Amino acid sequence: MITRRGFIRSGGAVVAGMVLPSWWRAPAPAVKLVEIAMRSDTAGSKVWFDPIGLLVEPGTTVRWVVKQNVHTTTAYHPDNGHHSLRIPEGAAPWDSGYLVNPGDHFDVTLTVPGVYDFFCMPHEAAGMVGRLVVGKPGGPGALPFDYFTGRAGTGQWLPVPAAAQQNFPAVERIVHERTIRGRLDALPATPGPEPR
Amino acid sequence: MKRIALGALGAVFGLGLLLVTPQSALAQRKAPPGDGYKKVSTLVPLPDFLPGLGTLYADPATLPAGPFLAYDRQGNLVSSIYMIPLKDMNSQKAFSGLKSGKGEQVDHVDVVYNAGHPGVAEPHYHFILWYISAAKAAALK
Repeated sequence: MITRRGFIRSGGAVVAGMVLPSWWRAPAPAVKLVEIAMRSDTAGSKVWFDPIGLLVEPGTTVRWVVKQNVHTTTAYHPDNGHHSLRIPEGAAPWDSGYLVNPGDHFDVTLTVPGVYDFFCMPHEAAGMVGRLVVGKPGGPGALPFDYFTGRAGTGQWLPVPAAAQQNFPAVERIVHERTIRGRLDALPATPGPEPR
Repeated sequence: MKRIALGALGAVFGLGLLLVTPQSALAQRKAPPGDGYKKVSTLVPLPDFLPGLGTLYADPATLPAGPFLAYDRQGNLVSSIYMIPLKDMNSQKAFSGLKSGKGEQVDHVDVVYNAGHPGVAEPHYHFILWYISAAKAAALK
């Protein structure tokens, strides 16, 4: 008995054998994988993601890889220690936990279009953050940092620290340039006290 | 004869050191220091050996300021480190009566900004009292 699926499969093979040249092979689906390095200077004084801003297509897998120091990649989301929501609503938040050794890595596949802001847990206050635009800009990550002020249910949300705010590349710049490198000499100076 | 005299002198000098150095100082000179100190890598997710610093031990009751006692790969005490958060410095918080390496002679002091790490996950300064030369400290890899 030939099922519909089996018929199509066998028939398809016959047709392919008649029409397509012998060297033809169906191309494997392209693996969309991009890498973000998690870096530090020797003293642990300067820390950064590289790239710090990236435009990718929906379905892309982003891999964060430790190069120096100890880091996390953590989405701005209330599930992650009451941080404010700065990824698309409906997108799953992530938190890698501490990645301790060089080469340790963490993968996330992003399917929901919009802006995704993320940070490094021990280095957020020092400004170690990054931003992804998946497909087209949109969602909470495209809004001002204080967009949730006064909204019901956000009383416990934490504001983005000042040093982190100033380090995010603009959404428009990411869309225009696609990749924005994180650079040691582009980092802010030692952060001062938070505004009261 | 000369060799015997030198040996005797060395023995007397060594015995003298033992007499003037408190037992707790000797206990700290080699890892693990005991006395409530725990290896930091067993308390928080950090590598055992941190290049530029060494293997750290701390008494959890003294965190985050410390001291952290740092040891080279051979287990010799190389420094005492105090980790002071920037926010505490900005709010003019005082830290007094911090312990130091018992009986150790400070060679030099480094004051180094650190962006944060597990255990002190915020910007802070390391105040490092080195008991070894700058060249030996630079070789801690």
